[in-house]
Amino acid sequence: MAAVDLDLVLSLYKTPGAAQLKLDVAPRFNLGDVVVALNINPPGHTRLPRYIRGKKGVVERDHGVFHLPDSRAAGKGDAAQHMYTVCFDAREVWGKEAPANDSLRINLWDDYMTLA
Amino acid sequence: MNSIHDMGGMHGLGAIDTTDDATVFHADWEAHTMALARAMMAGKYFNLDEYRYAMERINPACYLGLSYYQRWLAGTITMLVEKGVITQDEYEAQLDALKRGET
Repeated sequence: MAAVDLDLVLSLYKTPGAAQLKLDVAPRFNLGDVVVALNINPPGHTRLPRYIRGKKGVVERDHGVFHLPDSRAAGKGDAAQHMYTVCFDAREVWGKEAPANDSLRINLWDDYMTLA
Repeated sequence: MNSIHDMGGMHGLGAIDTTDDATVFHADWEAHTMALARAMMAGKYFNLDEYRYAMERINPACYLGLSYYQRWLAGTITMLVEKGVITQDEYEAQLDALKRGET
């Protein structure tokens, strides 16, 4: 365990974007790929919300490499993989009552998706 | 984890309060709670993902009644005990002392 002092705490606030990893990891998806969010129900931590599981979307942006939160929360290591913005049509997510032109963007990791 | 924190799409919670409230902390204990959590993560006692998971494990009925920083505090206490920084007995003894007005 590291000793916590003022310099250490201040350094955290002065280091923007610290969560992004400078690692050379190949992305599993390309921009424009049509993907389906996996239907997973892990008892542990995940950043894949229930309402998006099984829904189809389009990969819109690749943010680079980040820790997979599911792995890191479980103490299973800092699995490094790409994290993307994926765009879902509102009606794909919420059905025909959703406005036709609405969409929802959500950040998803490689492990959360498969090609449609 | 399928629990109460994952409430996207849930109905019945009322209108979203869009009042522009620039106040960062509404009481000193909120600032102390944030500072403690950041310090513990800076010291690598726990990481942000473990911390979120600790908050997700708050009893669902209790979770809905807690404010934002009350959830932070509950998560911090869970982490401190699970990571062995304090024991459950030490926590409860301190809580009892506080209730008796001894500290």
